[in-house]
Amino acid sequence: MSTPLPLIHVVDDDESLRTALLRLLGAAGFETRGYASTGDFLLQSPPDRPGCVLLDMRMPGPSGLDLQAALRRHGNPLPVIFLTGYADVAASVRAMKAGAVDFLTKPVERETLFEALQRALARDAAQRAARAEAERLRAAFAALTPRERAVFDGIVAGQINKQIADAMGIAERTVKLQRAQLMAKLGANSAAELGRLAERLQHLPD
Amino acid sequence: MGFVVACCFLLVSPALAGETRHVLVLYSNHRLLPANLEFEAGLRETMASSTELSAEFLDYPRFDGESYIHALATFLREKYALRPPAVLVVGGGEAFDFLLRHRAELFPRTPVVHAAVARSFLSSLLPLPADVVGVPIEYDFPGTIDLALRFHPQARRLVVVTGSSARDHAWEAELRGEVLRFQGRVTIEFLAGLPTDAVLKRLSELGSDTVVFTPGYFEDGVGRQSSPRKAAQLMAATAAAPVYGPFDTFIGTGIVGGSMPNFAAMGQQAGRVVNDLTDGVAPAALRLPEIMLPIVNVDWRQIRRWGIDPSAVPGDAIVWFKTPTLLEAHPTETVAAATVFLLQAGLIAGLLLERRRRRRMELAVQQQRFELAHAARLAVAGELTGAIAHEINQPLGAILSNADAAELLLASGADRRDELRQILADIRRDDLRASEVIHRLRALLAKQPVERQPFDLNSAVGEVESVLRAEARRRGLALEVQTAETPAVLIGDRVQIQQVLLNLVLNAMDAVNGLPEARRTVVASVEHDADRVTLVVRDRGHGIAPEHLPKLFDSFFSTKRQGMGLGLSIARTLVEAHGGRIWAEPGSGQGAVFRVEWPTVGGADSLRSA
Repeated sequence: MSTPLPLIHVVDDDESLRTALLRLLGAAGFETRGYASTGDFLLQSPPDRPGCVLLDMRMPGPSGLDLQAALRRHGNPLPVIFLTGYADVAASVRAMKAGAVDFLTKPVERETLFEALQRALARDAAQRAARAEAERLRAAFAALTPRERAVFDGIVAGQINKQIADAMGIAERTVKLQRAQLMAKLGANSAAELGRLAERLQHLPD
Repeated sequence: MGFVVACCFLLVSPALAGETRHVLVLYSNHRLLPANLEFEAGLRETMASSTELSAEFLDYPRFDGESYIHALATFLREKYALRPPAVLVVGGGEAFDFLLRHRAELFPRTPVVHAAVARSFLSSLLPLPADVVGVPIEYDFPGTIDLALRFHPQARRLVVVTGSSARDHAWEAELRGEVLRFQGRVTIEFLAGLPTDAVLKRLSELGSDTVVFTPGYFEDGVGRQSSPRKAAQLMAATAAAPVYGPFDTFIGTGIVGGSMPNFAAMGQQAGRVVNDLTDGVAPAALRLPEIMLPIVNVDWRQIRRWGIDPSAVPGDAIVWFKTPTLLEAHPTETVAAATVFLLQAGLIAGLLLERRRRRRMELAVQQQRFELAHAARLAVAGELTGAIAHEINQPLGAILSNADAAELLLASGADRRDELRQILADIRRDDLRASEVIHRLRALLAKQPVERQPFDLNSAVGEVESVLRAEARRRGLALEVQTAETPAVLIGDRVQIQQVLLNLVLNAMDAVNGLPEARRTVVASVEHDADRVTLVVRDRGHGIAPEHLPKLFDSFFSTKRQGMGLGLSIARTLVEAHGGRIWAEPGSGQGAVFRVEWPTVGGADSLRSA
């Protein structure tokens, strides 16, 4: 399956500026969608595609910062680039703390905008890869049998096979078998690798 | 006109002379002779008012001859037999002569007062009876000629005009004797007994080296009747040289003047004698002047006309027709009026100075107020920096992105002409939009003189609405702007009213800052009814503490940490300068309401006529 083209979302209540941005991005080869408000954007449930959001900071109704928060809550953390007509320090700090990729002041230079877009798309790609990996891991972990999971817990806790077999009341040979099976299911080659997996599983986003 | 000789006569009737106070005046000439009119006026004003006055006119020289004299004497005798006069006044030589000859048959015992009788004539009659008294006169022919020659030192010729009646001939004879004394100084020419036309023609041809003297005449060379005054008037009107005459009745006819006995003075003198006689004073006991002295009379207009040196006019001369200066005519009133005028002028000048000083101070105060209002406006603009930047950067951003897009499209080589055209149109539109913002801001911020013109409050609010919306967006609050459906016309400076609006709205925005979203609302509205135009700004903030209400519009009162406390004070100044008032009140429920109210000045009509 081929990776879909990135889709750039432009949220700005100023129709003229929105149109100009959509035009520029289109000419640069991006696929775009425009929205007149944050509410509009949320209602249209953007598809799960690589991309990012160009977001006007100040709009009537819910602001760009509100949308940023909402996106994160919905588990669709599209990277956000803020655009603003007037950069006040307090607002930019809040935006960056909330995870904005960039904070651009209108009128924005094309190069600046494109660089920010590249960064945002790169971050999106990275986040997407990380999310896919975590998903795969979670699925693999969910496929373990209860016994295999108990063995896994023992290995991660640093026990040797004998200790695990004693604790489970099964033969050491059985533990070895279970261990080979679960390492194959999780795609790990060593106990150290299993340890790193366990750590990642603990921090997976839900 | 006139002149002359009046006379009286009379005869005393036997009884009751002193008791009737009936006085008869007998004049030589006719009733309307100017000399007679003046004489009688002088006489009447002097005699006791109870005195009864009769007058008879011999009408010489128009009527003459034995039968006329006889008839006249008979008439007088019979007429006055029933009402005999107590005193008889005779005016003029001819009347006096008549009386003396007929006194015995007419008024034998009535005392006689003669007037206007020449001394030379009297001396030929002496001695007179004791009850015939009077002050003789002397017609001053030589004095008048002498005056003329003094007034015209350059004169080389004297022309004397006389007529052809008996009286005229008598004057001519007298004059021929008198002029001898002037022969050394001037050549002398007589125009005696000529027709009036001929006289006037000759006079009109005279040169500047000539002066004219005339006693006038009663009859000209062809027997046409005249009066001395009328004759003199014709001569003065025609002559190319100045005309002089010896009778004061000539004054005003155009002659320059002369040395003249005064007929009114003669009447007054006669009146005094009549009073004494009727009071019972014996004629012999009267002490009378020897003669009625002549006096120089001149017509000031003629003095000017002939260029006569005013200093040659004797100091005791009677100057006629010289318009007296106001000061001469009414010295007291003039001085008083002038004093009042000067005082008034001083007062007015003082008041004007005072007014100017006050005006200057008012202007200075006004200028300061204007500067302060402008400074406050700049401060408001400072608060709006973010909104303003947004307002401008929005179109600028669109322009830049459109230009970039166009560049990319061109670089792509594809034929995207339609899209490029659309881009250019958008760029133009956004450019205009940006410049419109700047234009509005300039109008708001520029230091321009205060205007006084009708404007629609709705549109004034509309002009600042977008920057306020930008500010509301920046602050994350809701702004609602409601304008009236009909034009709400005010007269004054729209920028100042916009400043008031900005001030109130920014205050309201401050008031809701940090409150939950539902309360972060500001409403500005224009309301308009028959009597008032109202601007209302409401918020749902914390409201105004009651103890703050009275001080709200005072200078330097502020509840904000960074407030100067000038905004509302200046807003009130601006509102009041437009004839309105501003006040605050608690909102219904929450927050505060600021109201600005002006009386209406009319509707769309006054806006159109602006």
